[in-house]
Amino acid sequence: MPFFFEEAVTPQGKPLLRIHAREEVTLADAEALGARLDGPNKGWLVLSIVDRGTEYAPAARKYFPNLQHKYGALAAVVTSPIVRAAINMMTRLTGQAPNLRLFTTEDEALAWLDAMKI
Amino acid sequence: MSVTIEAERVDQLLRIIVAAATGDYELRVPLVEEDDDEFLEVELGVNYLLEELSLNKARSDSQREQLAARADELAEQQTELMQALSTPVIAVWPGVLALPLVGRVDDERAAMVTATLLERVAAERATHVILDLTGVGAIAGNTMPALLRMVRAIGLLGATCLLTGISPAVARQIVALGADDSGAPVRALAQLSDALAHVLAQKGALRR
Repeated sequence: MPFFFEEAVTPQGKPLLRIHAREEVTLADAEALGARLDGPNKGWLVLSIVDRGTEYAPAARKYFPNLQHKYGALAAVVTSPIVRAAINMMTRLTGQAPNLRLFTTEDEALAWLDAMKI
Repeated sequence: MSVTIEAERVDQLLRIIVAAATGDYELRVPLVEEDDDEFLEVELGVNYLLEELSLNKARSDSQREQLAARADELAEQQTELMQALSTPVIAVWPGVLALPLVGRVDDERAAMVTATLLERVAAERATHVILDLTGVGAIAGNTMPALLRMVRAIGLLGATCLLTGISPAVARQIVALGADDSGAPVRALAQLSDALAHVLAQKGALRR
């Protein structure tokens, strides 16, 4: 399973859904994330750590933009330029995504999530 | 925005686009982590586009194959239906078969009618066959001998063949062919009902 979910808290103690993504993300993985976000805890702050070499299957790429309204804010930590380009491509599908931002370190990502007024 | 791109990357991208323009969607732009610039997104976008084209092509090929298989199946069903409709052999009485022919009779149809009818005559041990030509507009020039051969074959199976509804044109064809000379005695009556009455009288079925 290329997605690993973990419930945690931000440095300021806000509930956080932490995702670790690697290898090829399929539609089933994307739908599993959708189901998590549809759970009782709405408006999640999401921290996604995306490994170098992570790829998104075509069906997953089309599905991800549908999740944008389901989370409060999503900070993706990406070190690979190729993965960053892939996420940027998916973001372009939705037009604007003010509640999604890419970072290169986990600390920066957590600081941004903590600063979000949700 | 200004981006400086190595000519090699642009050439590579163009080669792949040209290949795609000729229907080859299998090539991909090689992505390099060190190429951390805006053009990387363009290269990745082209790869995504090619993946989508490739998926759609596979889907379209699969649908085309399914349609072709369905068309073959329908054509086969249509042929079977046409055969059944063009040789509607009816058992009008035990041992008596009637075959009303409608439309144009050509060699192929005559062969099909002959095969079906002889099979039924043998299977049902028929004593009489009424071949009604009322609905036959025309018989192809060289088909009449085939029909007369069928009449003879029915006789060889021990059944009597009666022709009804013969039009003047068909009558002229039969005479021209000298049916009696060909060894196929043709008993003709005006209407199918006359033939049926004739057969039933022969069988004694009308007597009470």
